[in-house]
Amino acid sequence: MSAAVEPRHGAPAALAAIAAEHARSRRGRRLRGLGKHAILIVVTLLLVAPFYYVVLASFKNSTEIFTYPPKLLPIPPFLGNYQKLLGSTGFLRWMFNTLLVAGTVTLVKVFMDSMAGYALAKLQLTGKRLIFLSMLILLMVPLGALIVPLWALVNAMGLTNTYLALILPPLANPLGVFLMRQFILGLPKDLENAARLDGVSEFGIYRRIILPLIKPGLVVLAVIIFTDQFMSFIWPLIATSSDDLQVLTVGVAALRSHGGADYGLWSAAAVMSLVPIGVFFFVLQRQFLARSLAGALKQ
Amino acid sequence: MRLSPGQHRQLRRQARLKRELTAWLFLGPMFVFFVVFLVVPVVGTVWWSTQAGGIVGGTTNVGLQNFQRLPDLVGATTAIQNTLIFALLSIPPILIGALAISLVLARIGRGAAAYRFFVYFPVLVPGVVAGLIWLFLTNVDFGLFDNVLRAFGVQPVTWLGSDTALGVLAALDVWRNVGYWAIFFVAAIIGLPEELYQAANLDGASTAKRFWYLTLPLMRRILFFAIVVSTIWGLQVFDTALVLTNGGPGTATTTIIFRVWQYVFGTNDKVGFAAAISLVLIAAILTLTLTQMRLLRSRRGDD
Amino acid sequence: MTTTASTTDSATGTQYAIEILGVTKRYGKITALGGVDLDIEPGEFVVLLGPSGCGKSTLLKIIAGLEDLTEGEVYIGGKLANYLKPSARDVAMVFQNYALYPHMTVRANIGFPLKMAGRPKGEIEQQVAFASGLLQIGSELDKYPDELSGGQRQRVALGRAIVRQPLAFLMDEPLSNLDALLRVQMRSELLRLHKRVGRTTVYVTHDQIEAMTMADRVVVMRNGLIQQIGPPDEVYRRPANRFVASFVGSPPMNILDGRIETADGRRRFAGPIPVEIPGLAGATLDDGPAAIGIRSEELVLTGVGTAGSFPAVIELVEPVGADIFLTATVEGGAIITIRVDAETNVAEGENVQVSIAPGAIRVFDGAGDRVRLTSDAA
Repeated sequence: MSAAVEPRHGAPAALAAIAAEHARSRRGRRLRGLGKHAILIVVTLLLVAPFYYVVLASFKNSTEIFTYPPKLLPIPPFLGNYQKLLGSTGFLRWMFNTLLVAGTVTLVKVFMDSMAGYALAKLQLTGKRLIFLSMLILLMVPLGALIVPLWALVNAMGLTNTYLALILPPLANPLGVFLMRQFILGLPKDLENAARLDGVSEFGIYRRIILPLIKPGLVVLAVIIFTDQFMSFIWPLIATSSDDLQVLTVGVAALRSHGGADYGLWSAAAVMSLVPIGVFFFVLQRQFLARSLAGALKQ
Repeated sequence: MRLSPGQHRQLRRQARLKRELTAWLFLGPMFVFFVVFLVVPVVGTVWWSTQAGGIVGGTTNVGLQNFQRLPDLVGATTAIQNTLIFALLSIPPILIGALAISLVLARIGRGAAAYRFFVYFPVLVPGVVAGLIWLFLTNVDFGLFDNVLRAFGVQPVTWLGSDTALGVLAALDVWRNVGYWAIFFVAAIIGLPEELYQAANLDGASTAKRFWYLTLPLMRRILFFAIVVSTIWGLQVFDTALVLTNGGPGTATTTIIFRVWQYVFGTNDKVGFAAAISLVLIAAILTLTLTQMRLLRSRRGDD
Repeated sequence: MTTTASTTDSATGTQYAIEILGVTKRYGKITALGGVDLDIEPGEFVVLLGPSGCGKSTLLKIIAGLEDLTEGEVYIGGKLANYLKPSARDVAMVFQNYALYPHMTVRANIGFPLKMAGRPKGEIEQQVAFASGLLQIGSELDKYPDELSGGQRQRVALGRAIVRQPLAFLMDEPLSNLDALLRVQMRSELLRLHKRVGRTTVYVTHDQIEAMTMADRVVVMRNGLIQQIGPPDEVYRRPANRFVASFVGSPPMNILDGRIETADGRRRFAGPIPVEIPGLAGATLDDGPAAIGIRSEELVLTGVGTAGSFPAVIELVEPVGADIFLTATVEGGAIITIRVDAETNVAEGENVQVSIAPGAIRVFDGAGDRVRLTSDAA
């Protein structure tokens, strides 16, 4: 991309025509580029406006919220909603529970799924195809459709109102196994064979060869599991009735359904709920976006 | 051979057994959870669907009566209807919108990362929180929507009325999911073979023609996948309906899982109905999954 | 062969480094190996040669323990190895694509088998230093595999095998990923290494030049069966059958189809060119379809009138440096290749007279097997 093409002596007319053509197409490209940005800015504003509106509300007192026209900048900010949320609701406890449950599930599942994925990808196993197929078929069945038998099962195990009730059922989801299998299938067979000859045990191959080489996959999987767990609602809702075990989503839903309308409190709760996942997202952006591709991988 | 066939058979069996055991040690932990908390509950749903009574305390076997009565149960049929309408209202705008956004987003140079961040952010909002946020958009007194209308001098609208609530719920879902599929499609578009587009450019194909004759056919499988998966997700709508409208007004936003939840924990003796509707949902999801597996396989040959 | 054997120790002792008895491998209905017998002496460099899909790599993997065999027995160092895990077989393998651990440095790669064996740090360091010195990669020890050239990776793979000091090296087309020049260089280096280290080596390749230059013995394979086992020059000069004749050597042996006929009590070969085959009379061979094979360098251009010579027309002249390959048509339309030295003055379209060097003719029977002629040396 040089600067404009200068017509020289010689064939100035033709060169000038070419230069004009270049300039035109360049202008066209720039215009189209601007158009694209305009579209994306509008889309972005539409998607982000709700957040701004809620953040705004969270810094207003109950009369300010109802004022028309609305104040578009929260100055001076009213902090009462946040004080109330943190001081007189179980919000911090809910947050702790969510992080504890989501963290545990993520840790255990990344470990188990990568092991199972290794077995399905590389090890000799009678009925492997059948197991794989049954996992594939049940992949999409949500916990929400299973609450009756699941609740009965967990109740029969005596786990209702324990952390285990929140942690164990999500471990059944086979998505991670597919992801891990796919990642591990991408590793060359000779690598494990070399390790086998070098005297590494099967577990050693998993730990010393497979795990280090699928690290990016492990991070993506962790992100998927953690966010799904962070957002999960119906199972925690029915699995626990004790206040001490409520996770964030359940607690926030309870704020809404119990007691009268408290818009200030609700907006503060919404904003505070998004803080951890927002930070997480900001740090691991690339892996989060790869989460979107998980769908393609599981085909 | 220096060993008898019998000796070989025995030694081979031992070696094989050892290897299979190793494989099971790897697969085992995950597999146990898969069976106990997924296979057993799916099968369990079938059993529960033949029962009458509460989830605690005894139940009695009523055979297929629950299914026979299902069509006449206003609560159940309304829930199924609502869920289907919700899916029909939300999925086309989600996918079409996502495709449109992705077409622009995939071919942008500067600022791509920032746009992606913002487009994707609503995806990470838990349904419960999304419901809360939309309360602030749809409130008649101070909601964003009506404030915008007021600014243009238009009469405020009751967004969560019985005619409109399901539509608003669908709109919320579009807001929350359009980014997911947009980013998904961006990845797909970036993966398309560049040479084809260069060839099309040389042939002088317009942008619209390139989209219609190249991008769309090349993304057929991806689009099909997106339709199936977003449908499956759409059928599970629950938490937003609970927080935003509590299933109402009346039963206007009572979805399948919402109704299941009510049957189990609202009124204490309808667990059979709950299981029966769950089974309908599971059957629908399995059908969709299998259709997709078959279609994807037939085009790829044997896996 | 004795029939009594424990699973750990063969009664035959350790006469052979590797012994393969009746090994077959079937994948469902497909037979990859159809009963292979092979004895490998200690210190021997054996090359398994054949086209892709002939079963040579499968055989190597069976020896290494990376594939199960369907039937048969493999003995390594006199021990039945069928049910031993790969690492217990005392063999080291070099893979076609090197299979270096990408997340480990060169140093860690080479030392890895020793570390796994629980050797002390000092010994590992010493061994790594020795191997890397031998292979001239001492300055690359702290690099990662993706920072190395193809040849260097190859050396690291070799180093990882050498430090184990195994009973045998197994090499699966180790040079096929290198460019032509490097391949020749590594070939001689490998050979030098073999002479220094002196360990039994089983080397798989589809490249007959590698086989001819490196092997003590060549094992030619096709369709899961061994076609011939022998030193390179024997395989070259006295191929066991038409397949070996046409696979080994470049250009391949000229094979001319014809018939064995007996007339007036005299047995002769009737084919596209007139030939005298001295040892044919006493050979065990029936009348019927047969073929003769002549190496291209055993065809000579002569003057008209030479006894036993025949006319041909030069179709193509291909100079390949020291030699010229001539493709020529004989009267019946059969095509032959003649190798002449670079000084020879010939042109395409020229009519020439060709004669056959004495004793150069091999006869193959209707099944393609070479017939032993009474004139053959023992």
